[in-house]
Amino acid sequence: MLRYGSRMESNWLFAALIGIVAGFLSGLFGIGGGVVIVPAFVLLLQLDQYRAAATSVATIVVTAAAALITFTVTATGDEQINWAAAVIVFSGSAVGAVVGARYLERIPEYVLTGVFALVMAAGAARMLL
Amino acid sequence: MIEIFGFIVLGLVTGSLAVSLGVGGGIIIVPALVTVFAFGQHEAIGTSLAIIVPTAAVSALAHHRAGRVLWKLAALVGFAGVIGAVAGVNVALAMEPDLLKRLFAVLLAALSIRMALRARRLYVASRSLDGS
Repeated sequence: MLRYGSRMESNWLFAALIGIVAGFLSGLFGIGGGVVIVPAFVLLLQLDQYRAAATSVATIVVTAAAALITFTVTATGDEQINWAAAVIVFSGSAVGAVVGARYLERIPEYVLTGVFALVMAAGAARMLL
Repeated sequence: MIEIFGFIVLGLVTGSLAVSLGVGGGIIIVPALVTVFAFGQHEAIGTSLAIIVPTAAVSALAHHRAGRVLWKLAALVGFAGVIGAVAGVNVALAMEPDLLKRLFAVLLAALSIRMALRARRLYVASRSLDGS
């Protein structure tokens, strides 16, 4: 952490750049931006995987909130947010996040990333075809 | 009723992924809403953001308790991200939903390949640790 801390002052520009790119992707695609933030933290700012993931979700709260507010103000007609669906999915994801934080460390990381890769590949295929 | 059950399962999966991988979950939520629940692309983007904000907050709190969040860095990246986010939403809403969907699918495909390679690397590393 100190190693990172000493690099921080000289790397604030990297941090701002990561934020702008991740924020743009967040607003454009409706994602949090963690897929950009986590690797950028690890590669550019030398954070370890755990701090990178933890700091990434804290970052996402801010950027996704900005995207959400902008979207709510700007969207019209059938572009608008399905709040009922959002509330129900969140009720599941809140439980998933709390339980996951406690127990997921027991599952090997390659299993998690492997499953994640498969789900994304399936999604990509269905959206392209 | 089945749809509500599906939404809850989607939430459980994305919440646990979000906390373990440090992502918001949008890369699972958006394709799921579009392909499984027949949402329009724009509707899916907005709804995904509405799910991500509180999910990431819960996730960040869990990590904070474990003392892993670098708050100064998070604030800096987050506030820079606001600029990008406002621009991103405006570009998204100005784009044809179908083009947006295809672009997103390309991003997903690229990310899934990267994730698969990472999974393989981690697997190999864990094997060699067991062997030694």
